[in-house]
Amino acid sequence: MRKRLGFVFWVAVAYLVVLAVAAVFADVLPIKDPAETFPGTSKQGPSLSHWFGNDGVGRDVFSRVIYGAQVSLVISTVGTVLALVIGGLLGMVSGYYSSRVDRWLTATLNASLVIPPLILFLALVLFLDGEAKRRIFILVFTFVLLSIAPIARVVRAATLSWAGQDFVLAAKTLGARDGRVLFREILPNVAPSFVSYSLIIMAGLIVVEGSVAFLGLSVPPPTPTWGDMINKGRTNLDVAAHISLMPAIVMFVTVLALNFVGDKLQQYFEPRESVL
Amino acid sequence: MKQAVRDQLGRIIAAALLATIVWAWFWRPPFSWTFGVLVVIGTVGAGIADGRYALRRIAGVIPVLVGVSFVVFALMASLPGDPAINILGPAATADQIAIVRTELGLDEPFFNRYGNWLGGVLTGDLGTSIVLREDVADGISRSMTPTLQIMAYSVVIALGFAVPLGIWAGYRQGTKTDGAINNVMLGFLATPNFVLAVMLVLFLAIGGLSVAGNEIGVRVLPAARYVPLGEDVVLHFKHMLLPSLALAMGQAAVFMRLLRSDMIATLRLPFIDLARSKGLPTRRILWRHALRPSSFTLLTVVGLTVGLLIGGALIVEFIFTIPGVGAYIFLGVTQRDFIAVQGGVLVISTLYIVVLTMSDFLYLALDPRLRGREVGARA
Repeated sequence: MRKRLGFVFWVAVAYLVVLAVAAVFADVLPIKDPAETFPGTSKQGPSLSHWFGNDGVGRDVFSRVIYGAQVSLVISTVGTVLALVIGGLLGMVSGYYSSRVDRWLTATLNASLVIPPLILFLALVLFLDGEAKRRIFILVFTFVLLSIAPIARVVRAATLSWAGQDFVLAAKTLGARDGRVLFREILPNVAPSFVSYSLIIMAGLIVVEGSVAFLGLSVPPPTPTWGDMINKGRTNLDVAAHISLMPAIVMFVTVLALNFVGDKLQQYFEPRESVL
Repeated sequence: MKQAVRDQLGRIIAAALLATIVWAWFWRPPFSWTFGVLVVIGTVGAGIADGRYALRRIAGVIPVLVGVSFVVFALMASLPGDPAINILGPAATADQIAIVRTELGLDEPFFNRYGNWLGGVLTGDLGTSIVLREDVADGISRSMTPTLQIMAYSVVIALGFAVPLGIWAGYRQGTKTDGAINNVMLGFLATPNFVLAVMLVLFLAIGGLSVAGNEIGVRVLPAARYVPLGEDVVLHFKHMLLPSLALAMGQAAVFMRLLRSDMIATLRLPFIDLARSKGLPTRRILWRHALRPSSFTLLTVVGLTVGLLIGGALIVEFIFTIPGVGAYIFLGVTQRDFIAVQGGVLVISTLYIVVLTMSDFLYLALDPRLRGREVGARA
């Protein structure tokens, strides 16, 4: 039976692509300026000229959501890619070289998991002051720190199972060096599982960024972020719920789509029942 | 005698833990006592079940704790800016700064300061908060109660949703029911807890959306505020319901998916066929025969999620204005009160490590098959 990804999978992929394109080309696309206040439109609900309505001071929520996607997507993508490279490497090394290296790496990674992520984050946020660029740098740094351990674990487990296979033994018998075995023999087999897992990590990072922005500790205003929009909208929740609701829905759909795509890919590459 | 204790270990330990919690609830001893008693029970239990393993495990925890304390302290010590200036404000004179620096011990070398702090920590002294001018240990144990309450309620709620749904979805694997349960739970997994919290407030507390003059939503629950349990039990639970729900649903999704896949594996085993051929009703097979062997992974993961819950509790405390430990650390962060922050982070990490170790021991006590062999690397 041929495996299929299904219709919903492609809808989710299409949504993610549209969102990414919109965020990347936000400056060129014919959408409104996210900082412009439209007089007399404060707290107005969705309309034809303002698709997602206007916020407390009359700014266009739709364009703010699109510009907010820039922050979320950039931080989570960069964070995931860096974490993937570092965590993937550590995981492969740890899974391939047995005994001592493995034991030390695993112990260190486990120890790094004992500080709850958001709390560690808060401690690091104390370093945040100064301009937006420095903040983004520290945010990305923290996100990488947070996601290395989980990625390394998954990759380690996958490497461990592939390293015992006959073709690896064959390569070694032919005299291949460790580097070659790792990158030419094992990496192609491990890659699918960590690519699909990375999407789930990315969804997680979007949530963390949202939480941090919600607490007012992410990229400072006037740059719009989803979390900050949801938080600011809370003061008008009873009269103009759309100010919080719209970014919340977009964020929900984005995270859902990423999780779904990651899940499906994992099932596609690895037919056994996946957990978590 | 010893054999009899060994056989009943799971029940004895569970009963002892429950008794401790009830005792702590009514007697209200200092937080560290409760903590100590819980640790002692777990250790003794693990010692009876498998002494060597317990010893090794505890010996392994100590370096981790020291490492964490060092990382936290080093992090706070390397903060940019002079803490003395942060306290006094930019208008301070050099003399004043010198006095405050001596008071905080900032003139001493790094390792002396770390040693002093660690010595204080071991005797229960976390220092005095810079901003609140209050003992940090007092502040944390005061704010610990609401946080632990939220976490406990949300674990109960999450299991309340996850166990029946997980059993049912596992039993009905591959059907539409299974698919529906899975998709709904995937939805909850994708909802950040602050989004869920805002939505819950919107639809259950303040009347919801009004579309064309009709309200979609109700006003049945209070939106924010913390009422201590001792003050008014009904009000307490009313106020805690929304925060706990907001925290619980994401966990429920994780638990449910775990239990479902373990149930599927268990239901394929021969003893289920035996139970079926004896003519036992399905409900009894699922709840009495299949649930117990399927729930071990779930149990460990419940322990592991404490770390996530603490982060989530922080957000939920922020939204519902609950004076918990997350709010305490958050206040410390916004006011650059590094003594309060390092104390809070250390206490939470310690709590987490202890819970993790304890859940390992509980695992050992509950599942006799594991005794005498290493509890393997876990999720």
